[in-house]
Amino acid sequence: MADEITDNILNICNVNKSFPGVRALNNVSIRIRRGDIHGIVGENGAGKSTLMKILSGVYEKDSGTIEFDGETVENTTPVKSLRSGLSIIYQEFNLVNTMSVGENIFLGRFRKMKGMRGTHGEARKLLDSINCSVDTHAPVESLSVSEKQMVEIAKALSFQAKLIIMDEPSSSLTTEEIRHLSVIIKDLHEKGITIIYISHKLDEIFEYCDRVTIMRDGCVVDTKPIKELGRDEMIAKMVGRTIENEYPERPHCVGESLLEISNLNSRKLKNISFTLKRGEILGMVGLVGSGRTEIVRAIFGADKVKGLILQIDGKTVSIKKPADAKKAGIALVPEDRKQQGLILPFSVKSNISMAALKGLAKRIFLNRGSEVCMAKRQMESLAIKTPGINARVENLSGGNQQKCVLGRWLETDSRILILDEPTRGIDVGAKYEIYLLMKKIVENGGSIIMISSELQEVLSMSNRILTISDGRITGEFDPEDTSAEEIMKSALA
Amino acid sequence: MKKELNLKNAFFSFIKNYFVGFCIILLVVITMIYQPRFLSASNLLNIIRQLGPLSIVSLGMSFVIFAGYLDLSVAGTISLVAVVTVSLIEPLGQMGAILAGIVIGTAAGALIGAVVLVVGANRKSEALFISYGMGMAYSALALMYSGGVTQKLGENQKIFEVIGKGGWGILSVSLVIFIVCLIILQILQSMTYIGRSVMLAGGNPVASRLSGIPVNAVVVLVYTLSGLLASIGSVVLVSRVTTASPVIGKTYETNAITAVLIGGTSLKGGNGSVMRTVLGVVLISLMSNCMNLLGISSYMQSVVRGLVLILAIWLDSKRNS
Amino acid sequence: MKTKWVAKKILTAVYRQKAIAALILVFAVMPLVNTSFFTVYNMVDMLKSASVYITIGCGVTVVVISGACDLSVGGIMCLAGIITVKMMGKYPLFICIIFALLMGVLVGAVNGFFVVRQKSEAFVITLGMGALLKGVAQQLTDAHPIAGTNKAFFEFGTGSFLGLPNITVMMFLILITTCCLLRFTQFGRNCYAVGGDYDVAEYSGIPALRTKWLAFVISGFLAALGGVLLTARLNTGASTYGDTTALLVNCGTVLGGTSFAGGIGNAWKTALGLLLFTVLESALGMGSLNAYAKELVIGIIIAVIIGIDSYDQKRKAEMV
Repeated sequence: MADEITDNILNICNVNKSFPGVRALNNVSIRIRRGDIHGIVGENGAGKSTLMKILSGVYEKDSGTIEFDGETVENTTPVKSLRSGLSIIYQEFNLVNTMSVGENIFLGRFRKMKGMRGTHGEARKLLDSINCSVDTHAPVESLSVSEKQMVEIAKALSFQAKLIIMDEPSSSLTTEEIRHLSVIIKDLHEKGITIIYISHKLDEIFEYCDRVTIMRDGCVVDTKPIKELGRDEMIAKMVGRTIENEYPERPHCVGESLLEISNLNSRKLKNISFTLKRGEILGMVGLVGSGRTEIVRAIFGADKVKGLILQIDGKTVSIKKPADAKKAGIALVPEDRKQQGLILPFSVKSNISMAALKGLAKRIFLNRGSEVCMAKRQMESLAIKTPGINARVENLSGGNQQKCVLGRWLETDSRILILDEPTRGIDVGAKYEIYLLMKKIVENGGSIIMISSELQEVLSMSNRILTISDGRITGEFDPEDTSAEEIMKSALA
Repeated sequence: MKKELNLKNAFFSFIKNYFVGFCIILLVVITMIYQPRFLSASNLLNIIRQLGPLSIVSLGMSFVIFAGYLDLSVAGTISLVAVVTVSLIEPLGQMGAILAGIVIGTAAGALIGAVVLVVGANRKSEALFISYGMGMAYSALALMYSGGVTQKLGENQKIFEVIGKGGWGILSVSLVIFIVCLIILQILQSMTYIGRSVMLAGGNPVASRLSGIPVNAVVVLVYTLSGLLASIGSVVLVSRVTTASPVIGKTYETNAITAVLIGGTSLKGGNGSVMRTVLGVVLISLMSNCMNLLGISSYMQSVVRGLVLILAIWLDSKRNS
Repeated sequence: MKTKWVAKKILTAVYRQKAIAALILVFAVMPLVNTSFFTVYNMVDMLKSASVYITIGCGVTVVVISGACDLSVGGIMCLAGIITVKMMGKYPLFICIIFALLMGVLVGAVNGFFVVRQKSEAFVITLGMGALLKGVAQQLTDAHPIAGTNKAFFEFGTGSFLGLPNITVMMFLILITTCCLLRFTQFGRNCYAVGGDYDVAEYSGIPALRTKWLAFVISGFLAALGGVLLTARLNTGASTYGDTTALLVNCGTVLGGTSFAGGIGNAWKTALGLLLFTVLESALGMGSLNAYAKELVIGIIIAVIIGIDSYDQKRKAEMV
C-alpha cells in the first residue's frame, strides 16, 4: 500500500534478459522513488550493468515492463532515453576523446546551440553550476577521470535529466575528488534529481543513499531503506550462502616456494610482490579494474611494464613476450576467451594444439598424427562436448570452449597455470569439472594462480588468497580461517 | 525438414562464396557459344600455358592475405627485379643475373615486412599504405635505374629462352615453375609449423601471441615470401616477353589480389589455401582468354577486372559481417 | 581561458606542423641550389599544381576526419577531366562539367555504400575503384591524350583573377568552404564525432552512417572538381593523370596533421601538407635528380609519414 502512494519515477517489473548461455537478469523488479538517491550493490556479474544498459536503451529486454516518469519504455534507443530525461554515466564514459569538452556536452546538438559560441557558452554555465573549472575548449583526452565525470554530469544536466544513473563513479578518484563529487551529488539531490548510485564502496552507499537494492546472480535479493540495513547484513546478502557440494574438497599439496614476483611496477600497478608455492592454488580477488589482470599479464610477458623481477626456483628469468613465458613453464588462460583465448572459426583440434605445436614438429614438418592424438586426448580427459575434433570451436558452449583453452595449456610442460576468471559464463556442471581439473593439476605438482570475482569459488578452491585494490596488494588470507566478508572488505579497501 | 533447409542453405552459401566464379563460368559458356574456337586444343593449351607470372605472384600474395595483410608493392618489386636482372646479364651471366634479381626482390619484400613490423601497423590499413608507398619507391627505383629505358634481352640468352618458350607440350617451363612453387607452398602451408603459424596469426593475432606463436616473425615472413615469389614471377615474365620495361609490373598487385579473392580466400585472414588461389588464377586466366576471344579491348578488360575485384571485396565483407 | 587553449593549440599545431617547418627549410635551402626556384613562373606553376591537389585534398580531409580514407580520387580526377574534354565538342561547357561532377558524386556514393553500409575495408575498396576508373578512362581515350576544344575553358584554366590564377581562386573558395563546413556546421562536427568514436556518436543520436556516407560523396565531388580544374589548366584529358594522386593526397592529409585514426584535423592543415608536397616535387625537379629519383624520394617520404603516424598510434596504445 505504501508503495502505491509514493511517487515512483522508475518502475522496473519482472524484467528478464538472457544472452547465449547466460541468464543475466532473472525476474528483476525494483521501484525507484522520485528524488531518492537509490543505491544498487552486488558483486561482479550480479547483473547491475546489464540492467543499466537496458534502462539506457543499449540492450533490449526479453520480457517485463519498465515505466519511467509515468511513460512505458519500449524499444528505446540511447538518444530517446536521454531526451526523456534518463541519463547514465558509464564507468568508461561515453565521450569522444578527440573533441572538446563543450562539444562533447552538446554532441549532436551543435546547430541547436547555435554554433561554437553557443555551445561553449552554455557548457561554461553548466560546468559552473557544478563548480567545475575545466576549460570548455580543452580536448577530453587531456582531462583527468574526475574532470571527465564532471563533463558527463554537465551533459546529463544539459538534457534536463530527471534521473541520473552513476556506474561506479568513485572507483578512480582521489579522496579530494571524491569529496567534490559528494558535494555535487548532494546538490543534484537538492535540485530534485533522482540518482541511481551503483558502487562497491559500501561507505558511500551508506553515506549518500536513501534506499538500496542488493543484487546477486541476476536476481534482486532485497530492496530496503538504508536505515533498516546493517553493513554486515548487506555484505552477507551480496555474497550469499554456499550451496553444498558445489565445490570439491580443497587440495592440500602446498610445497616450497616456486615463483617469486617482486617490484612489479607499471602505470596501474604499484610495487607488487608475492610468491607462489609448489602445488598451491593462489586466489586473487579484487574489483574490476583493480589490477588483477594487469599483474598476471605482466608475469606472462603480454604487457610491457616499468619493472619486474621474476624468479622461478630461485633463478631470475627474463620474460619479454608470451613465448618466453611459455618456455619458462608459465601458462595463461585469458579472461576474454572469445577474443583473446580462441580462434573462433578454427577447429577444436587447432585451438588445442596451438601452444604445443612447435614441440610436435619433427624438423620442420608438423606431426599431424600427434596433433590428432593431442586433441583427442584432451577431448576425453576434459570431457569436451563437441561433435568432433574438427568442429568449429565457435559452436561450442562457453564451458567447452574454456576447456579447449585449458586443454591447450595442459599439453605444454607448464608448471604455473594462470587462470583469469576460469568459470565465467559457464554452467554449474562444467564449473565443477573445471574445479576437479584444477585439483588434479596441483596434485600432479602444478601450481595455479586463479583470478576470480566469485568469492565462494575462491574461498572453496584456494590455499591462499591475495586481495588486490587500486593496483596494490591489500591483504593475504587463509581461506580456511577467513570469512567472505573479511575478504570482501579487504578488496574494497 | 532440417536437412532440407541445410542443403538449401549450403547451396546458397556455396553460390555466394563462389559467385564470381559462377559469373566467370557463365562467361565461359557465352564464349563457347559465340566463339567455338574456345574449345580448340590450341586455345585450351594456351590457357594453361599462360598460367605463368601472375599465378606465381598470386601464390606469394596468398600468404600475405592468409596473415591478414595485403602486399601492394609487388608491382614495384616486379619492375625492379626485371630491370636489375636484365642489366646484370652482362657482368654476372644469366644464372648470376637471375639469382641476383631474386635476392634483391626478396630483400625488398623483407624490408617492407620489417618496416610494417617496427611501425606496429596496428590498423592493417596503415600496413597497406606502407607497402603501397614503398612499392611506389621501388617503381621509381626501377625507373631511375633503367633511366626509363626498356631493355631488350639480347640474342642467345639460352636460359631465358628456355624459361620463356621451352617445355613439352602442355607443360611449359613456366607452368612447371609454377607447379613447383605451388607444391612447396602448399606443403609449407598445410604441413609445417611455419605455415600453421601464419594461419593462426591471421585468424586471431592476439590469441596466437598469447599462445606463444611468433606473430611478429610471421609478418616479416609473409612479406618476404611475397617478394621472393614476385621476383620469380618477374624472371618468368621477362623471359616470356623478352624485354624488361621499368613499368612491367603495373597492375600485378590488383590482379594478384583479385585472383586470391575469387578463389575463395577471405581478406580477414586465417583462412583459405594455396589450392584456392590456383582456382582463382585459373578463373582469371579463363576470363582473360574469353574476353580476348570475344574481342573486348584491353582497356575494357581492365575495367572488367576492376569490377570483379570490387565485387569480390564486397562479397567478402558481406560474408564476414 | 579560451586564449590559453588557443595559444596552446597554435603551438602544438606548429610543432606538429612538420609541414610548416619543412616548408621553411625548403624555401631556405632552395635559393642556394637553384635560383630559378624563386622565379615568378615557378611560383605560379607550383601554385597551380597545388591548387588541384588541395581541391581534392579538401574532400579527402573530410573522409579521413570521418575515420576512413579514399584512394579512388586519382581515378575520379582523371575520368572527370576526360569526360569534360570528350563532351566538349558536342555539348555546352557547363553540361560537360556537370556530368563530370555528377560522376564524382556517383562514385563517391558507391564508395560510401561499400564502406559504410557493407562494412568493407575503405582502403581496398577505394583502391579497386580507382583502378576500375582508370580502366574506364583508358577505354574512353584509347590511351591517347585528348586535347580540349573549348576556348573559354582553356582561358579560364590559364587566366588570372586579381593576380592569382583562376584555378587558385577556385581552390581558395573551396578551401574556405570546406573549413567552414567542418568547423561551423552540424554536419562538419558530426564528421569529427563519427571519426573520433563511431559508437559514441551513434549513441548521441548523430546519424553516423549517413554522415560517413556523405563524406565519401563530398570526396568524390571534389576529386571530380579537381579533375576539371586540372584539365582546364592543361587543356588536355589523359588517362595517365592521377596515378600517384590518391597516395599523395591521402598522405598530404596525414602530413598536415589529420591522422588516419580519425576525429582530428582540418582542411587548411591538409592544404599546408599538400603545399609542401608540391614544393618538394618542384624543388626535387630542379635539383640534379631526374624525374624518377624524384618519385623515389616522394615514395619514401610517404612511407615515412604514414610510418610515423602509425608508430605514434602504437605508442599511445601501449601505455599500459
